[in-house]
Amino acid sequence: MKISEKITQFFKYVFLWIITLITLIPFLWIWMSSFKSNKEILTSALALPTEFSFEGYIDAFNTAPLLNYYMNSIIVVVTSTLLGVFLVGMAAYVIARFDFKFKNIIFVTLSVSLLLPITALIYPIYSVIRGLGLYDTRSGLILVNIGLGLPTTLYILRSYFLSIPKELEEAAYIDGSGFFRTYLSIMIPIAKPGFATAAVLQFILGWNEFLFALVITDSKRVRTVPLAINYFLSQFSFDYRALFAAIVIITIPSIIAFVALQEQVVDSLAAGSVKG
Amino acid sequence: MDKKRNLYIAIFLMPAIIIFVIIYLIPVYNVITTSFLEWNLFVGDKTFIGLDNYINAFTNDSLFMASLKNTLIWVVLQGTFHVGLGTMVALFLADKPKMWKFMRVSYMLPNMISGAAFAIILLNIYNPEIGLINQFISFLGVENFQQNWFFDTSTAFFAVTMTWLPYAGLVAILVLAEIMSIPTSLYEAAAIAGATKFQQKLYVTLPLLKNIIGTCVLISATSMLKEFEHIYLTTNGGPGSTTLSLPLYLYKTALIENNYAYANTMGTILVIIGFLIIFVINKLFVLGHSDR
Repeated sequence: MKISEKITQFFKYVFLWIITLITLIPFLWIWMSSFKSNKEILTSALALPTEFSFEGYIDAFNTAPLLNYYMNSIIVVVTSTLLGVFLVGMAAYVIARFDFKFKNIIFVTLSVSLLLPITALIYPIYSVIRGLGLYDTRSGLILVNIGLGLPTTLYILRSYFLSIPKELEEAAYIDGSGFFRTYLSIMIPIAKPGFATAAVLQFILGWNEFLFALVITDSKRVRTVPLAINYFLSQFSFDYRALFAAIVIITIPSIIAFVALQEQVVDSLAAGSVKG
Repeated sequence: MDKKRNLYIAIFLMPAIIIFVIIYLIPVYNVITTSFLEWNLFVGDKTFIGLDNYINAFTNDSLFMASLKNTLIWVVLQGTFHVGLGTMVALFLADKPKMWKFMRVSYMLPNMISGAAFAIILLNIYNPEIGLINQFISFLGVENFQQNWFFDTSTAFFAVTMTWLPYAGLVAILVLAEIMSIPTSLYEAAAIAGATKFQQKLYVTLPLLKNIIGTCVLISATSMLKEFEHIYLTTNGGPGSTTLSLPLYLYKTALIENNYAYANTMGTILVIIGFLIIFVINKLFVLGHSDR
């Protein structure tokens, strides 16, 4: 009994390590290879680099406007995160707090959009963005990102507002605080954890968004980090070293951010999925 | 006073509703209504042709049928194997073995970086000349097993599937979070009643996980209806149509062939499949009725 339990324990542990390695090895291999020379990559894929060379990184920065892509990503994602949680938060607040006509219909309609396979809407969304004159602009990307995050943000913030006792804002109203001011200076500060959760999810979504960035933008001027890869593929079909360096440059910030904020991210993902 | 309050409510709802109308409502309306038209780059004026696009898709278009078949296979694989693997990892991690936090973070990495970057990493891992997999096979001395993984008809489907199927980090952390929220008193009661660790998992943990597993099946299965960049950046649907998916075929039809109405027909079909999947999974798991 004791021994059999030990054996199962051992196999579980081996299984977990296999899973972990299957995940990590591709990253480690790309990182290692990015310091090799092209010749080494071609001849000895398994070996460690004989000398560390940063030339791949220099090539990557020289050939593609990576910094530009980063700036675009930061502008687009930070704006859509802040604006998204603020604007959708307003709707979440009144839906959680007040009774009005069509309230349930509005809530259900807005959240049901989560279940739509959004790729079905590639062409109509492209047309709408064109029609609004937002094709190939950061504003167009920001708008689409807010839209993609809307159902989850609404759901998380509504749940959070529902969990806050009503007495606090009633006291504020009695003191003569206006509707907007009560929301800004009383509700937002109390609901900070809820906003943080929603913001984390909206940020991840926007940072990794590829399809719509591909469809509604066209120029290097506005394109975001995930699309840098698309650009790199056509540029260096045989310069593996620079491609690998580019992948490292593109993925490292997400990895560092995730490892640093893992508890917050894990909590956010758990909160965002409990729709049942 | 009441009027003023209603005005504020309307103002507060307005931004979300406007965004919803632009990104969801108008597009959904367009996708459905234009699917009954003939409308492409060459036939500029839209003419009503009823169900012709649908009939054409199901009877005449082998690319459509191939992409539909592939997409449905991936939906089933993702809803079963992927969720099963993630759940197993979560159950094992729940015992908090040594370095479990490191394992949890590592397993999440493919979900945290952009899918585009991960697709390119795997494209190189499976590269026939320089890739880790073939090099490892030759290191083992069994060169016969070397393949041009992504670009050979016999292996392309497998290679594309391997870019997402084993990476169930999201499922693992969702299930793990749910396991950790189960009160320990339940296990203590089971232990007093004489249940072994394995029995506790089987009779205490698993039933309580029904809801979250159902949610994971829903998320994972429907994610395949959105899957785009992993295929687009690796095989681009090829060779032939072996790895073509419905979203990718839709993208090509709309933006490369400029056959807008036909692309929107596929969009409508995708939406319908999406709702069918949701309906079936809700029936199977009776979601929303918590057992707790």
